[in-house]
Amino acid sequence: MAKVLMKGNEAIAEAALRAGAEGYFCYPITPQTEVAEYLSKRMPEVGGVFLQGESELAVANMLFGAASTGKRIFTTSSSPGISLMQEAISYMAGAELPAVIINIMRGGPGLGGILPAQSDYFQAVKGGGHGDYRVLVLAPSTVQEAVDLTMLSFHLADKYRNPVMLIGDGMIGQMMEAVEFPDDYQEPELPSSSEWAATGAEGREARIIKSLFLDPTGLEDNSWKLDRKYRQMIKEEVRSEKYKISKTNKVLIVAYGTMARICQTAIDELEEEGISVGLFRPISLFPFPEQEIFKEATKANIKSVLTIEMSTGQMVEDVQKVVQGKKPVEFYGRTGGIVPTPDEVKEQVRGIVSKKKTSGKSRKKT
Amino acid sequence: MAVDNKTVFDRPVALRDVVTHYCPGCTHGVIHRIVSEVLDELGLRERTCGVAPVGCSVLCYNYYNCDFMEAPHGRAPALATGFKRMRPDMIVFTYQGDGDLASIGMGEIVHAANRGEKFTTIFVNNAIYGMTGGQMAPTTLQGQVTTTCPVGRDTSMTGQPIRMAELLSALATPAYIERVAVHHPKYILQAKKAIRKAFRLQRDNKCYTLIEVLSTCPTNWGNTPGEATEWLDDNMMKYFPLGCYKDFQEDDSGS
Amino acid sequence: MLVSPPVKKSNLPIFTRRILIIVGGYGSGKSEVAVNLSRHLVETSGRQVAIADLDIVNPYFRSREANQALEALGIRCINPSGGEFYADLPIILPEIKGAIEHNDELLVLDVGGDDVGARVLSSLGKSFQKDSYEMMLVLNRNRPFTSNVSGCIRMIREIEEASRLKFTGIISNTHLLDDTDAETIASGYELAKEVSNKTGLPIKFLAGLAAIVESDEFADPDVPVLPLERHLLKPWESAD
Repeated sequence: MAKVLMKGNEAIAEAALRAGAEGYFCYPITPQTEVAEYLSKRMPEVGGVFLQGESELAVANMLFGAASTGKRIFTTSSSPGISLMQEAISYMAGAELPAVIINIMRGGPGLGGILPAQSDYFQAVKGGGHGDYRVLVLAPSTVQEAVDLTMLSFHLADKYRNPVMLIGDGMIGQMMEAVEFPDDYQEPELPSSSEWAATGAEGREARIIKSLFLDPTGLEDNSWKLDRKYRQMIKEEVRSEKYKISKTNKVLIVAYGTMARICQTAIDELEEEGISVGLFRPISLFPFPEQEIFKEATKANIKSVLTIEMSTGQMVEDVQKVVQGKKPVEFYGRTGGIVPTPDEVKEQVRGIVSKKKTSGKSRKKT
Repeated sequence: MAVDNKTVFDRPVALRDVVTHYCPGCTHGVIHRIVSEVLDELGLRERTCGVAPVGCSVLCYNYYNCDFMEAPHGRAPALATGFKRMRPDMIVFTYQGDGDLASIGMGEIVHAANRGEKFTTIFVNNAIYGMTGGQMAPTTLQGQVTTTCPVGRDTSMTGQPIRMAELLSALATPAYIERVAVHHPKYILQAKKAIRKAFRLQRDNKCYTLIEVLSTCPTNWGNTPGEATEWLDDNMMKYFPLGCYKDFQEDDSGS
Repeated sequence: MLVSPPVKKSNLPIFTRRILIIVGGYGSGKSEVAVNLSRHLVETSGRQVAIADLDIVNPYFRSREANQALEALGIRCINPSGGEFYADLPIILPEIKGAIEHNDELLVLDVGGDDVGARVLSSLGKSFQKDSYEMMLVLNRNRPFTSNVSGCIRMIREIEEASRLKFTGIISNTHLLDDTDAETIASGYELAKEVSNKTGLPIKFLAGLAAIVESDEFADPDVPVLPLERHLLKPWESAD
């Protein structure tokens, strides 16, 4: 198929349809409302379900009910709305239901602002709801990657019977880029949902889709069963990308999403100044590319690791954990909708390279 | 001489042959049975999915012999909406108590009813939180003693009990809303008729239906099953009058 | 920051009406066209030029982001100030009505996408005097809902209904951002001509990245050309 120009939000909507999504439940919130507007036109064309609910709370629970049918379903929202969805996400993880939840992040906390931010990392990666559970978290950095990862999300949700969350800062949803949709989308075969979905007890035992286990041994068994799935994700679903990583690197930048693209521009320009910097971009945030980052960060030529985020510092805690104190881990962040410029990134790197001794993490922007 | 045995009373197929956790004098069992009989009689069991609430009937999926989902507190109408929209060919019902439906789930029930979602709600109103041990519910009567209004509900501070059947009947969309009781055989017959009609309307794709069932809770009310029945007669029946509050106009002969 | 491109002066768009309303589908490139058109007007008309950002549907990449550069050229920018500058609230400043009704300056109105964005014009409807304005559809063939003639005609109808104003022309602005080449622009112009033939709306001008439309490989169309410099950039992009 030829390339078309699409806003990230529209591209995500179209990608979901191409991946076989049959139901979409939503509530308007900036900066992701275009997904709903796009699907209000397209869903009826493909015979799917489009429903605007009364709140994100209800929408996430509609998703829970819809997921129980075994069909592919999803929702999109932005930070405050995703907070309201955490109840159902926890329940769906507990009941082992596949669902795709897309967070086009804006600045917080509270009502925050409408401009792009990456300050929902903890919520997504550490589990915003209650209980021993994880969601698989993917973070695209281009509109094309948003398309590819949206399609992959549906597959992974079904593969693990677990919610999958795709997080992109507002820029990913709002920016326009040329994208291409695969002509004949294929994915590895999975067991049919008819093995577990509520489809009516005709000719079989009635099925109960639930997360309630009053007997503590039952609840513990279920929690360890879930944990085994998360271990499998850690084994099989780590995704990342490297940019200009070489033996000449003085600094290793770790950044994801839009922030990684800004760092690429900075790295190209620093190269012209004779400063060699590599970029490690996690694509899966859970599972986090721990071994890969450790390997790159601890190479002899790396003086320092620099984590850059559109937040006051969230992923950096995972980077610090991974690097285990073997190299200094510095942090630079802007938040509230302010996006660091390539010049700001360059300044941070120059500071690290010229310093005799690094002083660890400096949270303050300069 | 051969005896021609004819079964005149048996357990419905839609009800499992298990011991329930419900207290003596509780009416959940009767309501479960009526719903199961209706599912059997209309031949719907094999294409039905129920939604269990949080509350005393949280475990009702263990008693019904059909597919079930267990919802977060108050969200059963949202689950039912999502499910039924994806599978309009199936029969869906939510089974909810007064805390679940009229307190924490007020938003979900009003909007599901107003969208005319094509599922049925069995709303069990016993004027108290049963599961958590007898706290004040949105339907607790004025002066009624609970563990969180130990000197009786003070409506000057907490408002008057919510009449859900009346409230939802103010919406233009729902098809059929009726309040029934099950504490005497004559009421049980009426209740079954109403529940049967609700499921039949759903089967015929006729929009949202809700049956409110006045129910007893001797354990948390602090009386014997007999006294509970009297209390319901003397108090709840006055504040929550039985009757049909909204009716889809059509030929009822098929019921 | 804003370097005037070496335009083919003889072939630039010229307008006789005072108000130029720029509408079109989401992502057709309206804001970029509006910003470049304002700059072109201030450089060629000798008159005072104002640009008003009427985009109440898009939260990002709005023409107001080019304010500083435009104001440096003496263009009056009408948009909310302070925190409201960043809001997605439907704020219509009273100055806009004033500029439409009682002004001598040339006015460029950058309107939000689709019929949804164009609805804002309806509330200002009585302010527009007959024959005082041009309303132009920015057409990008590479956008999903305007990739063919019937899609474009549907959009024209929807925007006219929502805005309660009539189109007076088309701006051919087909692009694929960084993937744009001469062929992209030419294929979009072909579609614009078909739409023009079907609807009777003239193509007022063709807009395209200056680097392409000013190159020798680009075959001049038989309509005026507005060379574009990109102003609404992503954080990792630079203007050159």
